[in-house]
Amino acid sequence: MIELKNIEKYYANKGVKSYILRHVTTSIKEGEFVSIMGPSGAGKSTLLNILGMLEDPTYGEYEFMGENITSLNERKRIELYRNHIGFVFQAYHLIDEMTVAENIEAPLLYKKIGGSERKSRVADVLDRFNMVAKKDLFPNQLSGGQQQLVGIARALVAQPSIILADEPTGNLQSAQALQIMDLFKKLNEEEGITIVQVTHSEINAGYGSRILHLLDGVIKEDVATTV
Amino acid sequence: MFKLNLKIALRNLWKYKGYTLINIAGLSIGMASCILIFIFIRYQMSFDQQFKHKERIFRVVSYWKYADGEEYQRGVPIPLMSAVRNDFAQMEQVAPLQRGGGIIRVKDDLGREKIKETVTLYYVEPQFFKIFDYKWLQGNPQEALSSPNTVALSEEMAAKYFGDWHKAVGQTINYQNKKDLKVTGVFENILENTSNPIKIAVSYLTYSKRDDKHWGNVSSGTECYVLLKEGVRPADLKAGMKKFIEKYYDEEDRTRTQHFFQPLSEIHYDGHYGNFADKLMPKSQILGLVVIGLFLLITACINFINLATAQAISRSKEVGVRKVMGSLRRQLITQFLTETFTITLIALVLACTLTELALPGMASLFKERISFSLLEHPVVFVFLTGMVVLVSFLAGFYPAMVMSGFSPVLAIKNKVSSVNSGGVGLRKALVVVQFSITIILIIGTLVVLAQMKYMREKPLGFNSKSIALIDVPFDSLSLQRFDGFKEKILKVPGVLNASFCMAAPSSDDNNLTTINYRNNKDEDFQVNAKPADQDYFKTFGLELIAGRGLSRSDTTTEYVINETLLKKLNFSSPEEALGKVIKVGGKTRAPIVGVTKDFNNLTLKKGISPIAIFSLKKTANIIAVKMETKSMMSAMPELEKIWNSTFPEDVYSFDFMEDLIGNYYRSEQVMGILFKAFAAVIIFISFIGLFGLISFIASQRTREVAIRKVLGATTLELIKMLNGSFLLMVFFANLVAWPLAYVFISRWLAGYTYRIDLSIWPFAVAMLISMGITLITVSLRSYKAARTNPVDALKYE
Repeated sequence: MIELKNIEKYYANKGVKSYILRHVTTSIKEGEFVSIMGPSGAGKSTLLNILGMLEDPTYGEYEFMGENITSLNERKRIELYRNHIGFVFQAYHLIDEMTVAENIEAPLLYKKIGGSERKSRVADVLDRFNMVAKKDLFPNQLSGGQQQLVGIARALVAQPSIILADEPTGNLQSAQALQIMDLFKKLNEEEGITIVQVTHSEINAGYGSRILHLLDGVIKEDVATTV
Repeated sequence: MFKLNLKIALRNLWKYKGYTLINIAGLSIGMASCILIFIFIRYQMSFDQQFKHKERIFRVVSYWKYADGEEYQRGVPIPLMSAVRNDFAQMEQVAPLQRGGGIIRVKDDLGREKIKETVTLYYVEPQFFKIFDYKWLQGNPQEALSSPNTVALSEEMAAKYFGDWHKAVGQTINYQNKKDLKVTGVFENILENTSNPIKIAVSYLTYSKRDDKHWGNVSSGTECYVLLKEGVRPADLKAGMKKFIEKYYDEEDRTRTQHFFQPLSEIHYDGHYGNFADKLMPKSQILGLVVIGLFLLITACINFINLATAQAISRSKEVGVRKVMGSLRRQLITQFLTETFTITLIALVLACTLTELALPGMASLFKERISFSLLEHPVVFVFLTGMVVLVSFLAGFYPAMVMSGFSPVLAIKNKVSSVNSGGVGLRKALVVVQFSITIILIIGTLVVLAQMKYMREKPLGFNSKSIALIDVPFDSLSLQRFDGFKEKILKVPGVLNASFCMAAPSSDDNNLTTINYRNNKDEDFQVNAKPADQDYFKTFGLELIAGRGLSRSDTTTEYVINETLLKKLNFSSPEEALGKVIKVGGKTRAPIVGVTKDFNNLTLKKGISPIAIFSLKKTANIIAVKMETKSMMSAMPELEKIWNSTFPEDVYSFDFMEDLIGNYYRSEQVMGILFKAFAAVIIFISFIGLFGLISFIASQRTREVAIRKVLGATTLELIKMLNGSFLLMVFFANLVAWPLAYVFISRWLAGYTYRIDLSIWPFAVAMLISMGITLITVSLRSYKAARTNPVDALKYE
């Protein structure tokens, strides 16, 4: 599903290049659950942003579902967002002015899905996440864990083929974190959704099927987890 | 999608209530002012537009060029009408419109006098109604006025005279106790917005001077309208007019006389000629109002843009999230424009309410009947729609572009700051523009008010206090009663002096004529002839610098001239002129016996004319009565009583001299009030905008303020820091505004012969006001920001 070839990212400052990523070459297949680990400043988030097409690599080739991303225009990229990629953020990034239900509904609006189907899909997701009672609340009326659930629900409702999660549990207490990880694992196993997450926690990484260890912009280790 | 956007828009507006309030308040006041201006201009532009052939209707006007000036005249010589009819093949219709006036008497069924009133009436030919398609309720316009002593009335007059307009036709009304006019038609009331307010139309054959053959006599009461044939352009008439003038004028007049065809659509705007309705709106004033309206709208939009871009940072996260969810930039722009549109619509509703509240005030200010009704004038609706769309785009487009352009990565990481949200520089520039406009208006207001004060207080060279100008009838019978009347009046307690004259020293009613001094040849300028009796000088307090006033006489036996005429006739001193013989107009030759000091005989927009004062009893129109100020109230009813018993056939009417002079400056007064009102509005809009902006900046810099405070900054230092850039911006605005204001103001003042000297003061005061208010506005908010406890700001970081 994802092919990275020799991806490099650096910032040139007064002729000195400071590298964020170097020679990153890897591939992620459909249905994998990959965790990206490494110390602060290793380039984890940058790699995830490149995967999510939020940043462009300075050099290298990136193919997403057989398409070369580096030459993709804005419109095509947005098409991919709409149909294939779901984002989950550390700080949830729900829209404060929208209720829970409206936040979940928002991606469907951009996919131009009809009113009745939207309603049923939102109801479906709310039901699955046990949040029917909270659907008319605003984000700031929820706990962090609940907000992140809404964030995941929002990422899922558009039925993406891949979820990119940047430290999804970073702001949560451990009990809530485990709940989120269980959910990811279930989505991965039962629905075959590809998941790429950046995490600091070994435990969280253990939920996945593969771990990429990043150090100073270079992939140091690429191992399958043993369950 | 739209519904959701709208919902979000409303929630956002509610979340930032304060800024929403500022935006809506500013916008609605600005829009209300614009609506008022539009309604007024629409009304002014609607003048004379109700006629079917309006494009082809022209008025023939006269123009003379003299060695030292020119004269515009809406009237034409009476014989011109039939001459035009004969000589121009391009005319479909030619019709005179002759104004007249006098006393109308109406008797009731029993023959008793029911109504006696002074009216203005118009003599017209049937052709007139082929040019102007009046709607006739009864009678046929082509037959009704085809014989002498017939009259057609407007619905209003017919109802007034006979109770019900249906009863009017066939009845008679008496005119001037001389003629009985038979009512042969009734036409629909003429609208307010017309230059020819005809209520009583008398057949032209009734007009006694209709066969006058003098090409030299021109009265502003004699207008001539023509209807050009289809396809004829006014330019096509030029050659014909040249021949026409050569044919009818002698060699001397030929060079200086001109007749033009003035389009109907210009009659309401051209101040040179005027019109019967005395309603004029120079195009420059309309333009001025449009500019002020645009200024107001721009100022309100700038508020909006400033607050929206300042607010943009707090919306950046939403933009980022929406973008990664798959929102196109276009969709985000639509969303933000929806918000702006919502605000604009709310503001519009408020603006309409404000307009309704302000309309009566405006109508009375302009002395016009103006209504604000969508149904009556669909164009108002078009204007409102256009304004909402324009404001939404003007105010919403730039912020929408900025906000929708945020990079999602930065936005999501909360790294969008005021630096890369763009618009800091732009915001500053906009504040400078906004304040420049404000300052220009402040300076303009100060200058207009100063000029008005100057005109009010400038000594005119004569005394206008406590003088009543009472109309007197001028038929020969009444003339014989003048002396007796004056004697009785002078006995009324409180009356100091009285003088029969044609016009007051300063008057709209001016009689220009030729003067003949050396070589028995007319000088190449005209003098303002002011026939008056011997008491004129005492009554108006005119000062003589040489010789004496007029002695008692009914005919012209001597002249008193003013200094201007003295200089024009090249006398080296007033004494030299005494005893010299001159001839004014067609009068007898007579010696100069006195010279008066110059007095302002016209408005202060114009200079002083050469003036000759002489006795000529039969031309007296009015009697000027000078009273003690304190006994005016008791004397006036006495005067009326005496008048009514002396001239029982006529109708008493009078004006106060001071009111007449005040009327000269009505348009300046109106302008002064408008300037004051609009300057207040624009100051208000600008400063609430400033308050909003400083509030936002203060809240954005809360953390910085807190850190500085922890580092030991005092409150005063912090306020200085927050205020500094604003004061600088307003200072820059002053620099921008001054030259512009100077240009505008000198242009405006150039229209006045007597004007104030432009000093630095209005500029300095405007600067003081703008900087002062800025300081107060900004300090109010920055004081609060500087006083907050730093712990509150820092603990959440």
